[in-house]
Amino acid sequence: MDILRVEHVSKHYAGHKALDDVSLSIPRGSVYGLLGPNGAGKTTLIRIVNRITAPDTGRVWFDGHEIAPDDVRRIGYLPEERGLYKKMKVGEQALFFARLKGLSRQDAMLRLREWFERFGIEAWWNRRVEELSKGMAQKVQFIVTVLHEPQLLIFDEPFSGFDPINANLLKEQILALRDRGATVVFSTHNMASVEELCDHITLIDKSRNILSGPVGEIRRRYGGNLFEIVYRGDAAHLRAALAGRCELLPEQPAEAGCASLRLRVDDAARIREVIAAANEAVELRGFAEVVPSMNDVFIRAVSGSL
Amino acid sequence: MSDILLIVRREFNERVRKKSFIFTTLLMPLLLLALMAAPALIMEYAHGERKRIAVVDESGLVARSLESDGELLFEPTDLTLDRAREELSECFGVLFVGRDVLADPDAVRLYADGAASVGLERNIESQIARILEAEKLKAYRIDDLPAILEAVKTTVRLHTFRNDAAETGAAFSSTVASVAGFVLGIMLYMFLLMYGMMVMHAVIEEKQSRVLEVLVSSVRPFDLMLGKILGIAAVAVVQVSLWGLLAVAARVAVVPSVLPSELEAVLASLDAAWLVRIFGCMLAYVVGGCLFYSAMFAAVGSSVDSVQDAQQLQTPITVPIILSFLLMMAVMNDPDSSLAFWCSLVPFTSPVVMMARIPYDVPWWQVALSLAILYASFVGMVWFAAKIYRVGIFMYGKKPTLRELIRWIRYR
Repeated sequence: MDILRVEHVSKHYAGHKALDDVSLSIPRGSVYGLLGPNGAGKTTLIRIVNRITAPDTGRVWFDGHEIAPDDVRRIGYLPEERGLYKKMKVGEQALFFARLKGLSRQDAMLRLREWFERFGIEAWWNRRVEELSKGMAQKVQFIVTVLHEPQLLIFDEPFSGFDPINANLLKEQILALRDRGATVVFSTHNMASVEELCDHITLIDKSRNILSGPVGEIRRRYGGNLFEIVYRGDAAHLRAALAGRCELLPEQPAEAGCASLRLRVDDAARIREVIAAANEAVELRGFAEVVPSMNDVFIRAVSGSL
Repeated sequence: MSDILLIVRREFNERVRKKSFIFTTLLMPLLLLALMAAPALIMEYAHGERKRIAVVDESGLVARSLESDGELLFEPTDLTLDRAREELSECFGVLFVGRDVLADPDAVRLYADGAASVGLERNIESQIARILEAEKLKAYRIDDLPAILEAVKTTVRLHTFRNDAAETGAAFSSTVASVAGFVLGIMLYMFLLMYGMMVMHAVIEEKQSRVLEVLVSSVRPFDLMLGKILGIAAVAVVQVSLWGLLAVAARVAVVPSVLPSELEAVLASLDAAWLVRIFGCMLAYVVGGCLFYSAMFAAVGSSVDSVQDAQQLQTPITVPIILSFLLMMAVMNDPDSSLAFWCSLVPFTSPVVMMARIPYDVPWWQVALSLAILYASFVGMVWFAAKIYRVGIFMYGKKPTLRELIRWIRYR
């Protein structure tokens, strides 16, 4: 069952349309990517799910019922622009937010200790937030968001401001949270992280949902039946053998003794035929589907060259 | 409910534990004292060097009786007026007294090198008047005149008794009441502005640092706003109570040794019950007034991005506070007037105006009614402000007008 379902949500602000009839459903236990160019409406959608703003039309369903004020306690939200009290000490602040989320004092302390240890930031407990760097503050904010172990986690641009090491740490933690049963939704521009983490995505552009579905399926759909043969042998021989069976693309530079050839097979039934012909002609080292990167998918979908 | 408590506690702790809180709490009374003592001190030390005044006395009556003091040194001279003005340039001025000054008291002129202060002019006028009066009395040839004058000199001090005062015979000094009322009114005026601004800045800070987005994902905006207002009201209670304690301590430890004995007597005449009542009312009005005005300040704070932007929008709030200060001045002249009565009921003016009237023994039902209206209005105002707050905290970039704020109230 889907943990979150957004149905035909529209939102207008004075003068512009932030969301236009957006629908999507987020399967329980998934890591869901919310993609889109700047200003597409991702943050507005996230704010609506968090009940920070109300949609003009449309409905949001959470865990089988229409979302209610108390449901926000079961959602952890990491906003894009991080917000912590600058003058407050890190530990005290984390405790304050944890208690607002409904944790008891002892429980909150216990979990905070654990998380601070996991991120190696125990020494920051008594430092003021204003003394921390942006990345450091972000770690604290992340902990505050996930501490109460909500069923749904929403991260708006979680990786911005992190160095590669800490970004990796964060990815590990996101997957660990998923493994413990949480559903994670995050918006990002970082397509590599989408490939690594997400199993579903929705791409929002110009206030509309233009692309939704499992990541693998979408990439394949945008792949255009592109394949790559890695081989040893005579290139001309191979080309001659394959001619007429599929569309051949320009030669790729050879490397480490192996040459490679890209080809497009539009009819799935002919794939075996192509492999057989290639096998006859040269010493076949590899045959694989070329799946476009999410980066390519994103650019092609947004620029409309589907 | 527990959310509100958490927010109240955070707000309170953050403020009370700050060093600046301790400083303000200790320094404010000193500052206030300095402010009150300043005019007297300035008068005491401001007269600078002694001014020399040459006296050309054609009548021969005045010059020898003029009395020099710390400020003025009179030097009779035999020169004519014109020569004195020319030659005695080292003097501040030349005082000319005409030959017929007894018949024509206007024949007195001062030629000064610079602007003569009002005090200096009064000094010379009253001295000459005294001398001329004595001269005129002399013309009646009464024996033992100084003794008679001394004997007839009378000073009256009026003791007013309140017919409605419970304790019959308790002398009530309206001077004490008016001074106390004035000081209390000013204090209320300051507290309303001070704590109101504190709330506004706190809201703006949360909005600027985007803490609000995190908070609102777990707390209702209404709880958040109310928690903030109540937290700062709690700070007000603590601060005012500390000042009360400081005042008592100062009264016991310091005042008797420095205060002139007449004032000490006045202070001693104030009974403890009176002080307790005043302090109780003070707390009630500080809390009520702060809550009422803070709600409005919170609404303004929520709708702007920075303190600078708040200037324009906060005018509709600061005007009633300043107005109540002006009304207080008028009310002090007649604390039982109908203006006083109505101003002590309207919640916008009641904290300042009623507080200024309290030392005059306002009927208890008026105080009760005024407080009831104030606290009820606070509830209404919070509801009203929360509607603006709820919309305002997510409005970035655009500075809203007052009209837009009012439109926000109607948002779903």
